[in-house]
Amino acid sequence: MSLFSRLLSYLGLKKKEVNILVVGLDNSGKTTILNNFKKDEDKSQEIVATIGFNVESFHVNNLTFSAFDMSGQGRYRNLWEHYFKGIHAIVFVIDSSDSLRLVVAKDELDLMLKHDEIASKPNLPLLIFANKMDLRDALSSVRISQALGLESLQERPWHIQASNAITGQGLQEGIQWLTEQLINQKK
Amino acid sequence: MDSDEQNISGLLDDQSTLDDRRTSSSLSNQVISGESKETLISKPEIASKWLTAYNDNLCSLYTLTACICFVDLNGDGDQKLVIADLGNGVQGMKLNIYKGTFILSQLTLIDCPSGVVSFYMDSNAPRIPAIGVASGSYLYIYKNLKPFYKFGLPSLEIHPSEQDAWNQLVADKIDASQLKVLLENLRIEVGEASLTARSQRLIDLTDPGVIDDFIGRYKDQPLKRSTIITCIATIKKTVDEDNNLNCLIIGTENKDILIIEPDAFTILTSVQLPSIPVFLEISGLFNVEYRVIVSCRDACIYTIKRGFKTGRLCVQLNSQPVGLVRYNNNIIVGTMDQCLSCFTINGNCVWKINQQSGITCLTAIEVEILGLTLIAVALESRTVVFYNGKSKVDTIETENVITSMKFGRYGREDNTLVMVSRSGSLSIRILKRTAKFTSIESDFGEAGSGSTMKMNIPKKTKLFIDQSVREPIHRAFQQDLYRLRLVVARAYVKAIAASLNPMSSNAVDPLKLSAQVHGLGPVFRLILEIQNTSLDQPSYNLNLFFYCDVKIYRIHRNFIPVPNLQPGYIYTFATKVECVNELNVSDFIKIHVVREGDSTPIITAIINMPSSETPV
Ligand SMILES: Nc1nc2c(ncn2[C@@H]2O[C@H](COP(=O)(O)OP(=O)(O)OP(=O)(O)O)[C@@H](O)[C@H]2O)c(=O)[nH]1
Ligand SMILES: [Mg+2]
Repeated sequence: MSLFSRLLSYLGLKKKEVNILVVGLDNSGKTTILNNFKKDEDKSQEIVATIGFNVESFHVNNLTFSAFDMSGQGRYRNLWEHYFKGIHAIVFVIDSSDSLRLVVAKDELDLMLKHDEIASKPNLPLLIFANKMDLRDALSSVRISQALGLESLQERPWHIQASNAITGQGLQEGIQWLTEQLINQKK
Repeated sequence: MDSDEQNISGLLDDQSTLDDRRTSSSLSNQVISGESKETLISKPEIASKWLTAYNDNLCSLYTLTACICFVDLNGDGDQKLVIADLGNGVQGMKLNIYKGTFILSQLTLIDCPSGVVSFYMDSNAPRIPAIGVASGSYLYIYKNLKPFYKFGLPSLEIHPSEQDAWNQLVADKIDASQLKVLLENLRIEVGEASLTARSQRLIDLTDPGVIDDFIGRYKDQPLKRSTIITCIATIKKTVDEDNNLNCLIIGTENKDILIIEPDAFTILTSVQLPSIPVFLEISGLFNVEYRVIVSCRDACIYTIKRGFKTGRLCVQLNSQPVGLVRYNNNIIVGTMDQCLSCFTINGNCVWKINQQSGITCLTAIEVEILGLTLIAVALESRTVVFYNGKSKVDTIETENVITSMKFGRYGREDNTLVMVSRSGSLSIRILKRTAKFTSIESDFGEAGSGSTMKMNIPKKTKLFIDQSVREPIHRAFQQDLYRLRLVVARAYVKAIAASLNPMSSNAVDPLKLSAQVHGLGPVFRLILEIQNTSLDQPSYNLNLFFYCDVKIYRIHRNFIPVPNLQPGYIYTFATKVECVNELNVSDFIKIHVVREGDSTPIITAIINMPSSETPV
């Protein structure tokens, strides 16, 4: 890193690189959300269920995000914990219309937050997308935050955001909150 | 901010409430920090391997394990739950289709359902299965939740006398009451089940007005005897893939099993059984090789193989089965005597575990991700116990007695257990991803055989081989010895039961009786010796009675009073016995020692008399 760019980054002018982990049950819309942040020419038209994981990078709010898009299928969920190291934020995506599996999402979220790597970083921000809010059976983000027991998260900064990954609604707001958190922490 | 209100208000509100939420989140952080409420509450859930996804105590479902199934209704892998509700058993029968925690659709059923299956009836793409509901004598097929086809079971032969009786009525040769008498007699002769429903109903009617009305309404319609579906299952036709063509297997009240091809609804195979089938379990492919395991109302399990026209008896159970599950190549059956048993296909019992209370239903739990099949057993004691083989690996306590349950893929969750309780509540549990099933407790005392621990077994020696050759001989010997002991024990019990032994072990009167016969006949002298074997207790007021065939013997003193027996001394009595039979046959004489006023003898001696000389 040259002296100049180091100077820039001290001044907060250079683009910062942040690593985020995008997790959530299968079919919750993780890949679709990340697809929205990509430049138009990079966007994929057809989104298929993720196998294992993908790494995506995009620029939002002067930050360079590199996101681990993990697969949410049961048999791949044990991969999540291998990417807990070195991340700056967690994005947890929930299918608001899948009321049946809300308990499963809670169980996975609890497991993750209890993991040593995450528990030892109590100010690692947690952004929750209550996705698929356009669907008829979708639960409200308040109901979801109750079901997940988010109020009982103690120090950790968290935010729940209703979203529609197909139209992109709510995504900017979510990432905005995340950016603020990251910038505040850097200071 | 009301949650429901937010749900309705939709997109615009979400933007405006965004800021509220942000503050509320930071607020809640401050308020709750330092409280350990959460860890306390979630403690019991950590212990459980199951997450409670949904609980509805008010849906008042009445259903059977066979009436629950998962259907990939749209062919997108998001499975729906179908529960056929028996209503109150007479009315209110419904087919409920659930998506997630909501009811997607509710269809009315006309008759009581006995089973629901999901099956692929054609090879069209996209692969969308049909729902088959067995109800009364019909199989109702639904496609895309719309009635598609109604398959009626073939009608059965009508007894000629029954047909004749109705014909006579139509021809006015007999009247209603005569018809009723004819039918009642026929019922005694051939049994109720062989009559048509119309005749059964007529026999039940008593009021003459109602009878006339009934006959007037139905007499001109042709008689029809139909049977009722008791159970239903599916079998894959040619290829063992998840969404390939199926055939339907149904069991009927007419004691047969029909295999039906759902393209044109033709009956491919029909198999006769000795009794009425209740539970079905299927393995294999219809066109290759298959086996149907069926338990019947005669408490027997039969197996049917491809190409056979009758069922083969596999196991005769001691008690009525309440659930049947195929487990690897074995059969697991829960019976009303609180037993869970495992049998091989050949009917040998592998193990048997007594349960703490009555079994209400069984289901197989196939956890693909763990490569494991468990058996869930619901008990009257409001628990569901999970067995891996014969070791207990988990239990769930429930609020109510679970009476039906199914495990499978529901929604997008592979490991979902749906349970319906006796009080009609519906509970959906999801197996945790991190769940591991290890034996929690071994019922070895009850299981009776072996432990699962691997033992350090040394190599086979020559001695061992020799020994194993001798073993069958030894076993045969042992077996005969046991038989002998059994015969002896039986004889002994019989003797004691009838006080037939010449030694009394009675605590009050320990007596010993022996008898001798002197002489060659036809006149004998019978000498009896009786001894009180106790140390210090004399016996009083005993009587000796003789019992014999009066056509053969005449006894001079039929009755000898014994007023006093001092301990230790031998008292001798004698009487003359004369053989009065001309053919000089010999017979036995019984001597009973009876206490005055008692009716059962204290001891009895049987004397086999020698054959008598001819009188000179
Ligand atoms: N109606 C609606 N559908 C959505 C929304 N977001 C995603 N979907 C759809 O949900 C399906 C699953 O989306 P994915 O992005 O593949 O889900 P995922 O979380 O990446 O799933 P895995 O990779 O299997 O973990 C796709 O068919 C999307 O079109 C939404 O906001 N509304
Ligand atoms: Mg994905």
